Amino acid sequence: MAALAFTPSHIQRPKIPQFGTPRTPKSKPRCPIRSSLTLQPNFSDPFVLQLAETLEDSLPSSSSSSLPSLSLQKLRDTSSETLLSTPWPSRKDEPFRYIDTSFIKQSQIEPVRNPPKSLTISTDTQFPNLAIVDGFGVNSVSNSSELPNGVFVGSLLELSEEGTVKRVGEFLGNGPEGDLFWSINGIGAPDLTVVYVPPGCRVESPIHLSYFSIEGSEKGSDRMPISNPRVFVLVEKGGEIDIIEEFLGADGDKCYWANAVVDIVVGEGGKVRHSYIQKQSLNAAHIKWTSVRQESASSYELVEISTGGKLSRHNLYVKQLGPDTETELLTLHLSVSDQTQDLHSSLVLDHPRGYSRQLHKCIISHSQGQAIFDGNVKVNRYAQQTDAGQLTRSLLLSPRASVNVKPNLQIIADDVKCSHGAAISDLEEGQLFYFQARGIDLETARKALVLSFGAEVFQRIPYSSVQKKVENHIRGLLGPIQKETS
Amino acid sequence: MGYSVPLLNLSSTSPMAATLFPNPNPNSYSSSLLRFSPPSHPSSLPFSKFSSLFISRSKRRRSTIPVAASLSAVESHANSGTRGEKKLLLEVKDLTAVIAESKREILKGVNLTVYEGEVHAVMGKNGSGKSTFAKVLVGHPDYEVTGGSMVFKGENLLDMEPEDRSLSGLFMSFQSPVEIPGVSNIDFLNMAYNARRKKLGLPELGPIEFYAYIFPKLDLVNMKTDFLNRNVNEGFSGGERKRNEILQLAVLGADLSILDEIDSGLDVDALCDVAKAVNGLLTPKNSVLMITHYLRLLEFIKPSYIHVMEDGKIVKTGDITIAKILEKEGYKAISTA
Repeated sequence: MAALAFTPSHIQRPKIPQFGTPRTPKSKPRCPIRSSLTLQPNFSDPFVLQLAETLEDSLPSSSSSSLPSLSLQKLRDTSSETLLSTPWPSRKDEPFRYIDTSFIKQSQIEPVRNPPKSLTISTDTQFPNLAIVDGFGVNSVSNSSELPNGVFVGSLLELSEEGTVKRVGEFLGNGPEGDLFWSINGIGAPDLTVVYVPPGCRVESPIHLSYFSIEGSEKGSDRMPISNPRVFVLVEKGGEIDIIEEFLGADGDKCYWANAVVDIVVGEGGKVRHSYIQKQSLNAAHIKWTSVRQESASSYELVEISTGGKLSRHNLYVKQLGPDTETELLTLHLSVSDQTQDLHSSLVLDHPRGYSRQLHKCIISHSQGQAIFDGNVKVNRYAQQTDAGQLTRSLLLSPRASVNVKPNLQIIADDVKCSHGAAISDLEEGQLFYFQARGIDLETARKALVLSFGAEVFQRIPYSSVQKKVENHIRGLLGPIQKETS
Repeated sequence: MGYSVPLLNLSSTSPMAATLFPNPNPNSYSSSLLRFSPPSHPSSLPFSKFSSLFISRSKRRRSTIPVAASLSAVESHANSGTRGEKKLLLEVKDLTAVIAESKREILKGVNLTVYEGEVHAVMGKNGSGKSTFAKVLVGHPDYEVTGGSMVFKGENLLDMEPEDRSLSGLFMSFQSPVEIPGVSNIDFLNMAYNARRKKLGLPELGPIEFYAYIFPKLDLVNMKTDFLNRNVNEGFSGGERKRNEILQLAVLGADLSILDEIDSGLDVDALCDVAKAVNGLLTPKNSVLMITHYLRLLEFIKPSYIHVMEDGKIVKTGDITIAKILEKEGYKAISTA
């Protein structure tokens, strides 16, 4: 083949996940996609190539050879390599069997080139807060005085501590074997937001990352601005931090695509509590990757509340890299209009005495609403004395609403405690009648029961102010309860 | 009279009780709980505490809402018969009902009349239809009424949703109340209480005001405060569930309380607590329909009438002597009698 003949032999060939043999030539650190397009048109999906090109063109050409921008460049290069061999997913691909991504594919995807110029963003949080607008970190961290020495929150390009940049660089680009969207983010991310916690440092106040999608087209237009926010969290040995990620759309139900990645590394004995709240516009596509690598004896806890997006997909990948590691994943998905909420989670336990708990809940209250859950837990050969539990419960509140759940445990170790369960139901008649028998009308009773179903997850958000906000938001989505004072 | 002394005590030690409690019900039927009249069963000392509570409140009520009380629906309907001066509360005629799913007939023509201030007990073998009768009265969706009539305070119960039946003053304590995970007891009670206030056109109570209202009622069923923060019936013992039902009755009030086996699964002390609480809530205006298997409960809460149900019908009505015969000789004695 011509393409292979052109490949210079001294080039290190990157591992490409989907295929056994590497087919992508790589000639320079910066790999121009256009040339590869002309070289091997047969191996790539033209749509993906065009998208990659558009993304690459949208980025400001950086001629800087500073360490941070080289790290960022490395990320872009690895991403382009994988992307070239990955076609746009179809429903024949198992991970995309139930989700219809044609809504994105049929749109005219346009990268957001610049951060909005004049923007007043009000964030009503008392925590150190960083706004990420259309993928660009704007302003600096507010309330940052509360951060201890050595803790860094901000753009990689502003990171001056060389040691830290190097540490970050070690992890960038060798994350999980992501899918197409992971790679798209890697190419398109204009910046990398870094949260760094030095060894032994306990950060008392949580870091609030507010992601805003401002660019957007009106419903009906086929233009779809894409933003690729990317965050890297590195907690060194014994460090502790809480992260709150909140995704918000601009006013009005605009159409846009947020393609976000957060990559978290928790060092030995470290602790991360992660709250992830997704409230995008109901016409938006929201695809999110959360990758977590946990060293031994570390603990990671996630509470996710996803209510927005026409199409919302969360790829959650957690890998335990050492023994005595704890992972807890609590997720709540709400589908209150013709929207799809999808969670694909993968938890890999490779070492002894790991502990994991996963609870996934969905509420689908619209006849065209859909929820998807594929939860994989791998308990590998050396993961003896693992205690792993997984439970998924779905409430289908409307006729024709649909949910596809696929809890799956793969257990190779022989001395483990594992459980899993799945339940799909409507509200229980007996409970509803109990409310009615005490004079409470059916509507109010239903709302109370639905809210209490979700409460099991949102009450686990560690901060009561955030929890209250989420609760009110969900109450609002379930329909306003009439406060009558006549 | 024996209760006058505790009255003075109580109103002086807890003035909160008289001033803070919002009036839940300005109309006569729902308010009957709060009205004072001398206890029909001269109560032993512990109860007089509650009676006195009612006195202090009813005094205030009488002075503030003098007219509303007479505007109840019943007065106009009280013409269908009286037992002396009493008004008719519930009239069930030839009631038949089937299980909604299997269409199996359970009630085969029940007749029952309850006047205000009366205590009725329904006894009968397992499967005779006692609990079904109670559930049909409050509109349980598992059953379908196929014939006959049920008129409560002049209104046709068949035309009313379960919540409207409750709001009009009908209360059933469940034999086995369901667990409602995620909804705390106090939120549930607050919701139910506000539904009543809304019906009466009163402003709803926020959590803090409601707490002040409900707190004293806990003593009534001998429960600790943490009871309120637990989820409705979740992980409750048999006794706690029954106490919780009576607490709901105390908070919401009722003109007719249907108590479905409140004595089952209770130890002697708990039975005593629950019975005391029920007695404390009794006034000459409101009525009780108890379903029970045992004489023991009837010794605590003295019924004016005892009905025996058999195969979906009331086959015998009488006084306490029936229960005594049953206790001694079983249902055979009644069937053949």
